[in-house]
Amino acid sequence: MSWTSAFAPVLPEIWLAAAAMALLLLGVFQKEDPFARISRLAVGALAVTFVLVVGRDDGRVAAFDGLFVVDEFARFMKGLVLIGSALAIVLAEDWLVKERAQRFEYPVLVLLATVGMMAMISANDLVSLYVGLELQSMALYVLAAFQRDAVRSTEAGLKYFVLGALASGMLLYGASLLYGFTGTTGFEPMAARLREANQLPLGALIGMAFLIAGLAFKVSAVPFHMWTPDVYEGAPTPVTAFFAFTPKIAAMALFMRTMMTPFGDIGPAWQQILVVLSIASMGLGAYAAIGQDNIKRLMAYSSIGHVGYALVGLTAGTGEGLRGVAIYLAIYLAMNAGAFAIILGMRRRGQAVEEIPELAGLAKTEPLTAAGLAVLLFSLAGVPPMAGFFGKFYVFMAAVNAGLFVLAVLGVLASVVGAFYYLRIVKLMYFDPPAEPFERPMPGAVGAVAAASALFTLLFFAWPAPLVAGAEAAAQALLRLP
Amino acid sequence: MLYGLIVFLPLIAAIVAGFGGRALGDRGAQVVTCGALIVSALLSGVAFYQVAWKGQPVTVELLTWIDSGAFDVMWSLRIDQLTAVMLVVVTWVSAVVHVYSVGYMAHDPHIPRFMAYLSLFTFAMLMLVTSDNFVQLYFGWEGVGLASYLLIGFWYHKPSANAAAIKAFVVNRIGDFGFGLGICGVFLVFGTVEFDPVFQTAPGFAGKTFEFLGMKLDMLTVICLLLFMGAMGKSAQVPLHTWLPDAMEGPTPVSALIHAATMVTAGVFLVARCSPLFEYAPDALAVVACIGAFTAFFAATVGLCQNDIKRVIAYSTCSQLGYMFFAAGLSAYAAAIFHLFTHAFFKALLFLGSGSVIHGMSGEQDMRRMGGLLAPLKITYVLMWIGSLALAGVPLFAGYYSKDAIVETAFMAGGKLGSFAFVMGVAAAFMTAFYSWRLLFMTFHGQNRHPDRHVIEHAHESPAVMLVPLYVLAAGSIFAGALFAQAFIGEGSPIFGASILVLPGHDALAQAHHAPLWVKLAPVAVGLAGIALAWWMYVRRPDLPGKLAAMHGDAHRFLLNKWYFDELYDALFVRPAKWLGHALWKRGDGKVIDGLGPDGIAALTLDIAKRATRLQTGYVYHYAFAMLIGVALLVSWYLYRGGM
Amino acid sequence: MILAALAFYLFAAIAVAAGAMVIGARNPVHSVLYLILAFFNAAGLFVLLGAEFIAMILVIVYVGAVAVLFLFVVMMLDINFAEFRQGFHQYLPVGGLIGLILLVELLLVVAGWNLDPDMLSLAAAPTPAEITNTHAIGQVLYTRYIYLFQAAGLILLVAMIGAIVLTLRARTGVRRQSIAAQLARTRAEAVELRKVAPRQGI
Repeated sequence: MSWTSAFAPVLPEIWLAAAAMALLLLGVFQKEDPFARISRLAVGALAVTFVLVVGRDDGRVAAFDGLFVVDEFARFMKGLVLIGSALAIVLAEDWLVKERAQRFEYPVLVLLATVGMMAMISANDLVSLYVGLELQSMALYVLAAFQRDAVRSTEAGLKYFVLGALASGMLLYGASLLYGFTGTTGFEPMAARLREANQLPLGALIGMAFLIAGLAFKVSAVPFHMWTPDVYEGAPTPVTAFFAFTPKIAAMALFMRTMMTPFGDIGPAWQQILVVLSIASMGLGAYAAIGQDNIKRLMAYSSIGHVGYALVGLTAGTGEGLRGVAIYLAIYLAMNAGAFAIILGMRRRGQAVEEIPELAGLAKTEPLTAAGLAVLLFSLAGVPPMAGFFGKFYVFMAAVNAGLFVLAVLGVLASVVGAFYYLRIVKLMYFDPPAEPFERPMPGAVGAVAAASALFTLLFFAWPAPLVAGAEAAAQALLRLP
Repeated sequence: MLYGLIVFLPLIAAIVAGFGGRALGDRGAQVVTCGALIVSALLSGVAFYQVAWKGQPVTVELLTWIDSGAFDVMWSLRIDQLTAVMLVVVTWVSAVVHVYSVGYMAHDPHIPRFMAYLSLFTFAMLMLVTSDNFVQLYFGWEGVGLASYLLIGFWYHKPSANAAAIKAFVVNRIGDFGFGLGICGVFLVFGTVEFDPVFQTAPGFAGKTFEFLGMKLDMLTVICLLLFMGAMGKSAQVPLHTWLPDAMEGPTPVSALIHAATMVTAGVFLVARCSPLFEYAPDALAVVACIGAFTAFFAATVGLCQNDIKRVIAYSTCSQLGYMFFAAGLSAYAAAIFHLFTHAFFKALLFLGSGSVIHGMSGEQDMRRMGGLLAPLKITYVLMWIGSLALAGVPLFAGYYSKDAIVETAFMAGGKLGSFAFVMGVAAAFMTAFYSWRLLFMTFHGQNRHPDRHVIEHAHESPAVMLVPLYVLAAGSIFAGALFAQAFIGEGSPIFGASILVLPGHDALAQAHHAPLWVKLAPVAVGLAGIALAWWMYVRRPDLPGKLAAMHGDAHRFLLNKWYFDELYDALFVRPAKWLGHALWKRGDGKVIDGLGPDGIAALTLDIAKRATRLQTGYVYHYAFAMLIGVALLVSWYLYRGGM
Repeated sequence: MILAALAFYLFAAIAVAAGAMVIGARNPVHSVLYLILAFFNAAGLFVLLGAEFIAMILVIVYVGAVAVLFLFVVMMLDINFAEFRQGFHQYLPVGGLIGLILLVELLLVVAGWNLDPDMLSLAAAPTPAEITNTHAIGQVLYTRYIYLFQAAGLILLVAMIGAIVLTLRARTGVRRQSIAAQLARTRAEAVELRKVAPRQGI
């Protein structure tokens, strides 16, 4: 194998890492404020990466002795992640400038985190899993503390870092147990070992439990979710937006591949755990959000709940379920991008506001924004015919078809409770006397993202086929493994 | 591309005018929508030539819509001969109405919204007629329903308009419910909702039965009846006709477009489109014919006594739709579509002409307050004559060809059903002529009876932008019949080709040419008699109608109150439903649900929410501890299960 | 063989005890010193396994650099560690219980571990017999595991960026030497000759 073909599968990652480093140099050596320029270039670099990722269509390719794998699933998820990262940069630009935190490292760190996420998605070995996870997390810790002069931001960064280190420790402990009991770190050899073993080694199961704990931390599933509300609230809002819709997708993708490839044959063993995590996440996401007044905190609980719904599909473990998760994540990305775009546009007298009551009477002062947010909230609540409904529909159907009736029923109940707090905001916007109007106009890019995602969620039902087909291919790629 | 443009131009125009209305201004919105519609109309002329004249049906696949297991639906445009005819009708009438609206709505403050709704309606209607499967058909079906609701209630500050809009919507829901069930039935039986496979396999299911509540029912008959239920709602057939007259609360161009020429004919289109199903369900066909014939007669009787100029025409529409349905019920789909085609022209002409009258009379609609408008409204008067002549089926005008064909078909079909339809058709033809000229005489002849002198003096002819569309329609009303009769219903060479299926035994239409002479002359003769009678009663002896009404008080009231249908429905459905709703609200919801709610679930939810929030202390070590507990639980679980 | 076993238990016991003392020591400086002790014992365990290279790296990097850095930081930051310990006793019972449960469970697992005889042959990259393990690591680190190596490098880069982003402040009013500017000065702009009259001043 010539070295060009050996490196071909990682070309997008190499390009993105190189671009990040080049932008770093450019930022350091440029005299005038380089933030805006580097942001644009970073979005361009992501766009090129997107083309490199999606443009290739050569089935399943493994590289570096099976440490790294590219398949339909990886392409789908990387596509989502790249879109998410680009949106995070686009949404952040104006906000950071207004908060006087426009340092060019923001886009560079987002790019490096994206490299980490792509490594996670393609990880086919416990070591590459860990390395990708750590690369992503390290960048995220810094981003959470990015507003270094704000106490809340540094607190968020520190909390995330300490708890993240603990989670990484658990994950590594699990990985070492698995290595000890199966003698390999590769996903496929591990699957083979577990399949051949006439009795499942208990140590491997415990290792898997630790591994699941570490991964559950990254997707913020209950009870490993505790960092989420604090970090979401404290981090700068654009970073919160990024956290909400990009690393979560990557972590969920990693979770899916880790459950399906090495442990694909012992599905029942991890399903029992995931059922509990899923129910607890859905329940907590629905209930705890009710008492929140800070919209970023609310979105944190909302994301916990949504992870619960996505886990329903993974728990089913069937092709249908995996497809459901993939669709769910794509729709989740769109809904959150729109919701956060509108949250980022909430400014009054030069200050960002985050309290939910500030939205009162928005329908009277800004009917269009209110309508967009209402669409997104209805979608998050899962009201048909918004896109969010279809996301839930696909995972619940998969759960029912896999015989997980209790899970599906509890999920539906949780989404009913969850609808309460989304609709409370709608009520606030439409029926309460208006508060002081926000600073307008909204920055063009932010408004465009909000409008585009609202339209997507509203009109998804008219043409779901391409997304469903892509998700189907992704799910099949994950199932078809040896 | 061409076909895509025909369908999507109106949508684009609707979006541009609807969302960009403020930026474009009134004039801009009018130009955009009218321009799009005129281009669309011209293109559909081309499509008609290519598809219907040359006989080359095409299907344009747009994209996959729903792909879920066995349920696979494509968005595609099916342009066959039947669709081509409908395309011409819809786009031409719509274009004309768009232009007319520029003049008619000139003083309205919400012009862009109105134009956007009109274009949106046109798009939905085009979606309906070009659909390639039942689901897409349903989409268009609901789309026109929605647009109709919006347009009837366009003057939303008028309570009667709102009520009419809701009534139209609710009555249509009843029909749509049946229609939806019909589509489900199609999917259950055939396993697909695409037209082609369904129609191809239909013969195999003829006569097959299924059991329901212990009864053996014929599958195709049930499906066809359910589908027909939708058609009844949309096309205002008895007993779901009550919404149509009320829908006249909308602006007149809307009445002309939706409630005369296009949407209400969707039911006829549906039956013709599903002819391959209906042909194998003779019982369903009989029901269609019966209901159509009865509606033709019933609506004509009601039309005799109405005083609102638009309501007279609305009942006339209802009656003409009845003709189309009984033609379809007798397997003369081509005649039904032909009548639909000619009717679109002359009925739109009548509506827009009456709109011109209303415009000239400063919004007055009651014919008892009109009269003597001959002098100020000469052009309108001539145009209304043309429309009425076509409607009454006077030879050489458009209606003559299509209506005669239908009546002759009914005669040749024979049997009880055919005879019933024939008698009803001839009787309705007589009444049609009578009320049409009653309308003309009451409006244009005699003295103006309006109490306000100012209105009478102000009566004026409409501007050119309203009259030019009328000329176009008048030309259609005069020539459409003579020009196209041979092509649509002539011997041997029907243009519909494979798009309509008629089984060998059902060819009453083909034999219609051999009907005896007296049958051919009967509709014309009764039509002329009706005109003469109207002249006698309203011009020669204007005191007669009053005396007659006094003499036969009950009969007059019976007709004036539309056979008491509204009152019957009010007593049967509306009041019990209100009572039930009230009871559920006060007792069910108020006592049972709210009783449990605040003390029960709602309070419990808030309580749990508070507890869940309290978990979040903000201390890192609490969080870390929670994670450790979590992992300990996971490990314990596996140890407890002993490795499953 | 018995010597090896003895050495193992010695190193292991000291490592665990030192670990406990890292948490338990009252003075943070002592904690860091115990940490260094734990590292040393871990290095000893690596030597017993035949992984001399890693053992040396552990001593040089962790003890020589990381732990000493810790020591500096702890000494430079004036933190009241007594405050940190508040609530330690309050949470000890529950925390201890959970820890104990976890420990017992893990012991059960490891105790029930039947070592598969072919397990060692399954090792991902067994050390070839004839070369030193420094060689062996070198052979795979830049070939088979180049991906992980580079990714680890990226992680360090991110950490470096992070440290700079979070702490570097461009101070105003700092005078820096600009050699280029100094060299570019000409005599004309640097020096001016004036005739000064006696007792006049400038």
